[in-house]
Amino acid sequence: MLSFLGKRAVASAISLIGLVILVFFLSRLTGDPTNLYLPVDASLESRERFREINGLNDPLIVQFFRYAGDLIRFDFGMSVRRGEPALDAVLRAFQWTLWLALITMTLVTVAAIVVGSLAAFRVGGIFDRIATFFSLIGASAPDFWIAIVAIVVFSVSLGWVPTSGTGTVWHWILPVSVLFIRPFGLILQVVRGSMISTLSSAYVKTARAKGVRNRPIIFVHALRNAMLPVITVIGDQAAGLLNGAVIVETIFGFPGVGKLMIDSILQRDFTVVLAAIFVTAVAIFLMNILIDIFYAVLDPRIRY
Amino acid sequence: MTQRFTRVAAILMATTAGFAAHAQDSVTIVLSEELENVEPCMASKSNIGRVILQNVSETLTELVPGTGLEPRLAESWEDMGNGTWRFNLREGVTFSDGTAFDAGDVVFSLERNKSDKFVCEIGAKYYGGMTLTTNVIDDTTIEITSDPAQPILPLLMSTLTVLPSEANPDAFVDQPIGTGPYTFDEYNRGENIKLSVRDDYWGEAPTIKNATYLFRSESAVRAAMVEAGEADIAPNIAVQDATNEATDYSYPNSETVYMRLETATPPLDDVRVRQALNYAVDKEAFVGTILANGTLLATGMVPPSTIGYNTDLQPYPYDLEKAKALLEEAKADGVPVDTEILVIGRLENYANVTETMEALVAMWQDAGFNVTLNMVETAEWNEYYSKPFVEGKGPIMVNAQHDNANGDPVFSMFFKYASDGVQSGISDPKLDEMIAAATAATGDEREALWKDTFAYIFNDVVADVFLWHMVGFTRVSDKLDFEPTIRTNSELQLSQIKFK
Repeated sequence: MLSFLGKRAVASAISLIGLVILVFFLSRLTGDPTNLYLPVDASLESRERFREINGLNDPLIVQFFRYAGDLIRFDFGMSVRRGEPALDAVLRAFQWTLWLALITMTLVTVAAIVVGSLAAFRVGGIFDRIATFFSLIGASAPDFWIAIVAIVVFSVSLGWVPTSGTGTVWHWILPVSVLFIRPFGLILQVVRGSMISTLSSAYVKTARAKGVRNRPIIFVHALRNAMLPVITVIGDQAAGLLNGAVIVETIFGFPGVGKLMIDSILQRDFTVVLAAIFVTAVAIFLMNILIDIFYAVLDPRIRY
Repeated sequence: MTQRFTRVAAILMATTAGFAAHAQDSVTIVLSEELENVEPCMASKSNIGRVILQNVSETLTELVPGTGLEPRLAESWEDMGNGTWRFNLREGVTFSDGTAFDAGDVVFSLERNKSDKFVCEIGAKYYGGMTLTTNVIDDTTIEITSDPAQPILPLLMSTLTVLPSEANPDAFVDQPIGTGPYTFDEYNRGENIKLSVRDDYWGEAPTIKNATYLFRSESAVRAAMVEAGEADIAPNIAVQDATNEATDYSYPNSETVYMRLETATPPLDDVRVRQALNYAVDKEAFVGTILANGTLLATGMVPPSTIGYNTDLQPYPYDLEKAKALLEEAKADGVPVDTEILVIGRLENYANVTETMEALVAMWQDAGFNVTLNMVETAEWNEYYSKPFVEGKGPIMVNAQHDNANGDPVFSMFFKYASDGVQSGISDPKLDEMIAAATAATGDEREALWKDTFAYIFNDVVADVFLWHMVGFTRVSDKLDFEPTIRTNSELQLSQIKFK
């Protein structure tokens, strides 16, 4: 296992270096940030001064090696727009995203596994039909529409929860609920499909023949074997959330890393873009290693 | 178990009490974007200005809509000749950290504004192309000399935010100290900014004691927050969200929308073609449909409240036949009117910009123009809009929105119309002279010269396709006594807000 983890860490580090090089040059292809930073009325003299101060007049390769030299010391540089270290801005935003992803995925996982397993137990039954109907709606409904409707109904009309922002536990309800819907629908369908297949296997029939009750059959015997494809999908959905739930963060004013990244790309705040991509990439690499470990825990046949 | 549940429920209920209730001396303002920084020398950016300008950091003079230039930190000023102005500063003014305000702080702020360590937007926007030197007579008297001479130097001083000379000269400050009526208390990045009133402010004590600024980029959410009682003022809401006449104020927002023509490239180098472009647009058809009611038809680059605005000029009427006739006439004289003209629009520049651009292009096509629309992101748009212009793509028209809330055309005219102007699509020596003369003039003469300049641009040169003076919408809680003005686009003075 340790050798596997070492190999994965080395492979991840190589990918990370490649990613940083790629993003550095690709982001520069978008052009000079001067015209976006300064007002359109700024004088040519001011524009030239901005380029000089920020090293934009140097050849790209010089800029890259300067950046790489700083990065070795874990210095991601200053955000031109924010006047603060880029890494500070990213880590602050990433905390919010991490919590949002963690809470949402925990709720989604528990709910989808329970509902999906029960739906699979009596395929075509009323519970299965209701669960399938709502999960398909959830998986296909657009986030931004659900978010706006939720604000109008639950905040403006009913006054139950705040429209947006942070501060109390109530502020998390709408963003988490909106984020919950889509992965819940998707993972529920995967759980259901996987459980249908597992419940029809020989060992489950044997357990039934031996008189084992339904609950242990579903949640002890079948579920563990049905979980491998489910974990893959959970990992995929969680990676999407770690990249930032841009729409939900934008609408609910949640200061997460997705919105920060998009804003920084649009404003050509290169240091923040690179720091954000670096931090999220590290998080996703770590999560993938965790998923590999989960595979081994759930299925003794998998050994690294 | 029941007791525990009751206790948890009580705690949760207690935490909800905050999201809709406000004290009677506090306001919550929801802005359209998070502030990237809180640096006073960046306060010409609208969202930074709405927090900092005149609330935390003050200026020597202040442009008041409908009144003109008023004293702020300077009590009076006089023209000493040869480009020198003397400012008599207010006595007894202190910064929020307790240090006294004096002429040295003005010198420091002017120098910092043009620092070679970082770039201030106010310096880049308003103080380019001039050298300012200072002469401190005493703590409350300072002479500022501009080269070349700036007859509107006192007006320019309405843009200069004053910092204490102890502030960091080489980088943005993250805890601004100013002479304004409010102290900058804290900035919880991504969440909120809090200001509170000073008890040692030199001026009248404001009604509002505490202000909280929140950030939501979605207009519908900002509007909903005021409706739900979570916020009191939401500037800059979209026209489709301004649905409540009782709370949604419409006001001229100092933005002018126009098409900048590159007049050096055929067929745009022919005045008849430029006139035809103007006659071909039914500008009134946009108002109340895809543009908000109250939008005015433009005849110049600045809003009507600007000095020298020429009220004698009438918008080009929609006359498709005349447009076609002018094109035919030009064609008969060998002008290549069939040449494809590239029309550049900027995505999200203003509400319904794409629909507006598509309608404009359809109107020009009806008149016989060969036009193609390209909607681009801000960065790419800027490459078309500012010099050096994109080359090798034939004739180009750029749709732009220009903001001038400063009351004088000088903030617009050189950049937009002088031969060396960064966004000027025209090179006309006579116009250069007119701009220079109006810039140097004062009083009634200045007003008259700007009027003549506007008329020359509109009637003789036909430099642009003049479109609209836009309106903005701000939702204000019905418990407040506050009416937005043209200045709300760039500042929001808490001291002007009262409760009903």
